[in-house]
Amino acid sequence: MTTQPENQKVSSYIIQSQEQEIKRIALELHEGVGQSLYSLFTGLQFIEKAVKEPEMKSYMGNMTNIMEKTIQEIRLLSVELHPPTLTTLGIVPAVKSYLKLYTSTYGIEVTVDHCGDEVPLTERENIALFRVCQEALVNIARYADTSSASVIFIWDKDLLSITIKDSGKGFDVEAGMEKSCGLAAMKERMKLIGGKCSIASNTGEGTAIEVLLPL
Amino acid sequence: MGFKKEWETSLFEEHCLNLFPKLSSDFIGLALQNDDGPDVSWRYAAGNQNEKYKRISVRYGKGIAGKVISTGRPMTIMDFPHHITGRALEYPIMLAENLRYAFAVPIHINEMPKGVFLIGNRTEKPVAEMDKDIIQKAAHMLEREFGSSNKKSV
Ligand SMILES: Nc1ncnc2c1ncn2[C@@H]1O[C@H](COP(=O)(O)OP(=O)(O)O)[C@@H](O)[C@H]1O
Ligand SMILES: [Mg+2]
Repeated sequence: MTTQPENQKVSSYIIQSQEQEIKRIALELHEGVGQSLYSLFTGLQFIEKAVKEPEMKSYMGNMTNIMEKTIQEIRLLSVELHPPTLTTLGIVPAVKSYLKLYTSTYGIEVTVDHCGDEVPLTERENIALFRVCQEALVNIARYADTSSASVIFIWDKDLLSITIKDSGKGFDVEAGMEKSCGLAAMKERMKLIGGKCSIASNTGEGTAIEVLLPL
Repeated sequence: MGFKKEWETSLFEEHCLNLFPKLSSDFIGLALQNDDGPDVSWRYAAGNQNEKYKRISVRYGKGIAGKVISTGRPMTIMDFPHHITGRALEYPIMLAENLRYAFAVPIHINEMPKGVFLIGNRTEKPVAEMDKDIIQKAAHMLEREFGSSNKKSV
């Protein structure tokens, strides 16, 4: 690895320690809290079945229902924070599982295309790629005013490219970069893992974010 | 413990779609808990700009509809995305329909919030008090009719 300027090392360190913390919380929600609530849920179901008195039975039914919703929301939250599949199965399954949640949350349909053979990446690379995809998708939900988008993975021999595209509103990239730091953070994240992120957008024509990572 | 499909559709058309022309609001939507499982989704809308609402599942405790379901109380949003609790991203129906002002009421079945009636405006115009009144009443009407049919089917 080539020597990085000091401040790049520091941002890299800050990002990595925050990501580890997010991962820990996500895992705790999924495996810890989620599992305990699930045990309580099956217990409540059991009691509900045993109870004879109609009013109490309906009350138990309502409690079981609230528990089920809470468990579901905890699962979704943990996928948003850090999909459990990201570390075990890699970027493509993680993005796909995030997209399921994304469509049911925002109502935006996203097609995923995939060509070439997926290569295992380091955890750091997986996380950076996932965050960039997530930021691009979240921006679409927030600003693009569109019902559909697409994500394309292309695995070449020595280069991975991911393109996230929408044909929504579009925006002036220079003005957008001045407004806030999300787009700049995407670029910075890719730079820190030795990749690149380019943003192309035109008002009225939509947006394409292209991410490149040498393999 | 969900809702009977056909019967529910006719109810909605009676109470809601016919209601829309009487409102000065830009959008009206009704979310109900599904027959199977805990999901609450947007079933009907009028004044919608796209079909996104059909794919949205309301997340428990999140956004205007999710909060109405979890608290069982009405909620108002003024000048979205300003003055909200949490992130704008937690308000999918506001984003999907480009709403700036909204008002939502719960629909209780068996003492549980099982649905949400929501109206909203896209321009700089708070939801009219008269409209709030109308959907409150419509929600109560639905509660009564769902309630009595639930008793019949038991
Ligand atoms: N997909 C998109 N479609 C339309 N506008 C966008 C899109 N992505 C970003 N923008 C515009 O670029 C600006 C900056 O985006 P970003 O840096 O992610 O900031 P933030 O999400 O915090 O507002 C946004 O305020 C928005 O106006
Ligand atoms: Mg952003």
